[in-house]
Amino acid sequence: MILAVLFANSEGNILVERFNGVPAEERLHWRSFLVKLGADNLRGVKNEELLVACHKSVYIVYTVLGDVSIYVVGKDEYDELALSEVIFVITSAVKDVCGKPPTERLFLDKYGKICLCLDEIVWKGYLENTEKERIKRMIRLKPPTEF
Amino acid sequence: MAQPLVKKDDDRDDEAEYSPFLGIEKGAVLQEARVFNDPQLDARRCSQVITKLLYLLNQGETFTKVEATEVFFAVTKLFQSRDIGLRRMVYLMIKELSPSADEVIIVTSSLMKDMNSKTDMYRANAIRVLCRITDGTLLTQIERYLKQAIVDKNPVVASAALVSGIHLLQTNPEIVKRWSNEVQEAVQSRAALVQFHALALLHQIRQNDRLAVSKLVTSLTRGTVRSPLAQCLLIRYTSQVIRESAGSTQAGDRPFYDYLEGCLRHKAEMVIFEAARAITELHGVTNRELTPAITVLQLFLSSSKPVLRFAAVRTLNKVAMTHPMAVTNCNIDMESLISDQNRSIATLAITTLLKTGNESSVDRLMKQITNFMSDIADEFKIVVVEAIRSLCLKFPLKYRALMNFLSNILREEGGFEYKKAIVDSIVILIRDIPEAKESGLLHLCEFIEDCEFTYLSTQILHFLGIEGPRTSDPSKYIRYIYNRVHLENATVRASAVSTLAKFGAMVDSLKPRVFILLRRCLFDSDDEVRDRATLYLNTLGGDGSVVETDQGVKDFLFGSLDVPLVNLETSLKTYEASEEPFDINFVPKEVKSQPLAEKKAQSKKPTGLGAPPSGPASTVDAYERLLSSIPEFSNFGKLFKSSAAVELTEAETEYAVNVVKHIFDRHVVFQYNCTNTIPEQLLENVIVAVDASEAEDFIEAGSKPLRSLPYDTPGQTFLAFEKPEGVPAVGKFSNTLRFIVKEVDPTTGEAEEDGVEDEYQLEDLEVVAADYILKEQVFNFRNAWENMGPDFERVDEYGLGQRESLNEAVTAVINLLGMQPCEGTEVIASNSRSHTCLLSGVYIGNVKVLVRLSFGIDSSKEVAMKLAVRSEDGTVSDAIHEIVASG
Repeated sequence: MILAVLFANSEGNILVERFNGVPAEERLHWRSFLVKLGADNLRGVKNEELLVACHKSVYIVYTVLGDVSIYVVGKDEYDELALSEVIFVITSAVKDVCGKPPTERLFLDKYGKICLCLDEIVWKGYLENTEKERIKRMIRLKPPTEF
Repeated sequence: MAQPLVKKDDDRDDEAEYSPFLGIEKGAVLQEARVFNDPQLDARRCSQVITKLLYLLNQGETFTKVEATEVFFAVTKLFQSRDIGLRRMVYLMIKELSPSADEVIIVTSSLMKDMNSKTDMYRANAIRVLCRITDGTLLTQIERYLKQAIVDKNPVVASAALVSGIHLLQTNPEIVKRWSNEVQEAVQSRAALVQFHALALLHQIRQNDRLAVSKLVTSLTRGTVRSPLAQCLLIRYTSQVIRESAGSTQAGDRPFYDYLEGCLRHKAEMVIFEAARAITELHGVTNRELTPAITVLQLFLSSSKPVLRFAAVRTLNKVAMTHPMAVTNCNIDMESLISDQNRSIATLAITTLLKTGNESSVDRLMKQITNFMSDIADEFKIVVVEAIRSLCLKFPLKYRALMNFLSNILREEGGFEYKKAIVDSIVILIRDIPEAKESGLLHLCEFIEDCEFTYLSTQILHFLGIEGPRTSDPSKYIRYIYNRVHLENATVRASAVSTLAKFGAMVDSLKPRVFILLRRCLFDSDDEVRDRATLYLNTLGGDGSVVETDQGVKDFLFGSLDVPLVNLETSLKTYEASEEPFDINFVPKEVKSQPLAEKKAQSKKPTGLGAPPSGPASTVDAYERLLSSIPEFSNFGKLFKSSAAVELTEAETEYAVNVVKHIFDRHVVFQYNCTNTIPEQLLENVIVAVDASEAEDFIEAGSKPLRSLPYDTPGQTFLAFEKPEGVPAVGKFSNTLRFIVKEVDPTTGEAEEDGVEDEYQLEDLEVVAADYILKEQVFNFRNAWENMGPDFERVDEYGLGQRESLNEAVTAVINLLGMQPCEGTEVIASNSRSHTCLLSGVYIGNVKVLVRLSFGIDSSKEVAMKLAVRSEDGTVSDAIHEIVASG
């Protein structure tokens, strides 16, 4: 299951936080753990370069895109490789919506669309859509082109 | 120059103004949400408000039930709008609000309408939302549409229905299971994602039906699977089928191995990796099967993608635990990963290398690790320290380099957990490698000179007090200990005083000097320090001249407290101040038995300072004291061995009984530890009646009944047998617990006066040959073997018959003999066809025995064993052969 998708700005403030199957009392712990992980490791990392960590039986793949850092947490079948697939879909969708690696301002400006993209990509902890072209159409309620 | 500066400022102003969520506040947004009720809907405005609501929700903000329900109702009004963008937002918003809002069912009819809409995308989204809010009754109503949707031509609709099915399976399994025909059809879909989702759902529907899963895997592995994600799932399901069919097939033709091996050549890295990992995790995987998987993982090690490097090194790390030799080919690639930017990868690489490295590569490896340690976080350092500890225990001859490494990192900066891990490792090495003792103690001494952690300082001082006096030159530690009295806080000072006193008590020549130091502590500012100093000066007695300390005093001061601390604490809590002083002799000595799982968890890890070893010596000491305090057994002589407790009852029965076998030269004493688990009962005159008709060499020689056994307070009853002197007599004893039971009033806790005689059947107990052999560790078996000489060597060969595996045969012989496996030879590679196991022990009568076992297994699983025994006495060597021959 994909336990969490989290976006933060360069100061570690949360922009988007979506948890699946994580008890409410553990969310704060996860949030601070991830933000600290990013603060320790993401400095100087290139856009979309993936970093990976595991904490007990949970995997974390994270990266930077413009001013925004993105974290994906998963367990069981969502191991580091599956998560890298998930984060790849997320970063390409965000880039697509924003037109480039976003500044924080741009990200917030496109906030609604980004939420729709996330809704298409992760459905209650499962990966649903993987192609950015399709996602781009679906958030406008247009059927995929290949159909 | 001025121009661009101004422009930049403008930009910044823009930025502040532009942030759409600046100063956003829940109450205000909820007010804004009233626009949803406008008769003339402004789609753009509504979308903006929804975005704000989403922003709040995504920040972890929560809405009360009333707030959520209000917004929810307002949002449903937006179904009137024809604006497509807004509709998409509405779907999302309903999903977000549905868990916290009441009456979500109100939206059902709008969604049902959308679900039958001609617009595909309305259908897909409506399905997803409906499944989020549905219950069993509603689901039966829409089931027909969902089944149609699963086989819809539009892949988005099909996927929406399938993923909904995965979620609904948790809540309404009986309904979703009816869809398996449609799902089966969807598995054959040409759309990659539909196939992926359908496969996941189909497997979940059938997961409890092994045959169906096996059929599914068989058919799909032959056909084509388009989506790499689905292929990964299939590989996982295949592994499951292989695992479940293990044992029913002959070795050599493992089913589906060819499929897994074929996947190693797939074009998607995800699939290659999944297959490689599946192969490495096969039960009893052979080297031939492993090779292709290791080869692809090795390629991944040098991939430019960090995730692939991480995945590969993580898998190799696991393989290294069971097949270190198979991974050695990758060592060079892993060495280059030590400098990997991603520290998780570097740590995994190092710990893998530490597992696969051989003795000659240790020094080089340590050099590389030294550079690496300075720039990783504590949590990674702890992993490395633990790996180094295992390495040192594996190659004891390399202790010098490894101990130096540990002492170096001990001097560097680090948090408590990290320092504790290092100190624990040094302590374990000191205990297990005698040669490392002196240097290890000095490293610890230097550490406490500048240690900021009170806990570690006191633990080290305690450890020094035990080990220091037994070294060749105990006086060199005194300086470090006495420095603590000057420089540290009261807790550490008090510990230092105790440690000093131990040196004084154990080393007679140091006594006068220790006395001088202890006298100085009488003027300490802290009362505990002064009290300790006074106590030690008075009890050690004398005027500080060189005299031998009385054994009784040593036992009183430094012997283990005879009672478990938990029991002491309970007794102290229940003690009411009265004229009668508290008597420690009334504290129960038996530890309440723990659940089995807890015991296992505890024994897993080697313990360092935190938990002093409950090694055989101290347990035997405690038993010896206990038995010698019972007059009936006091003339039995020296206790040779006490077995581990053997349970005679199942877990969670009315009465819990286990037994410890105490072996003396001419006697055997059974100590029955009994616990009464019924609050309404008091047992009296508890005794175990034993039928020894299947133990001919044993004659009953005395017993000690237990007068009273109240609820939940363990007690003991004993039974002694006489046996021929020095002979390892064996036999089987059947046991019955006999007692008088009295009813207890649970409210007052008082027992009735009259009781009824009753009995309770216990399991049988056996005295076996292994009870007469003590485990004894030797660190250099070859030296010990050579020193023993071939005078009393006896060699013979045995057929052990058909066995499940070599491992099973080796374990059986080790257990039969009850000796200590040396140099890690109890572990065998899972596929080896031969193995040598080295054992060491002391036979009753204090005769040292060494055993060399050579095993071989043939294709029909017949195991043959060559047994070579050397001991100090020919009859003992013969006796070992007899044990094996009759076992």
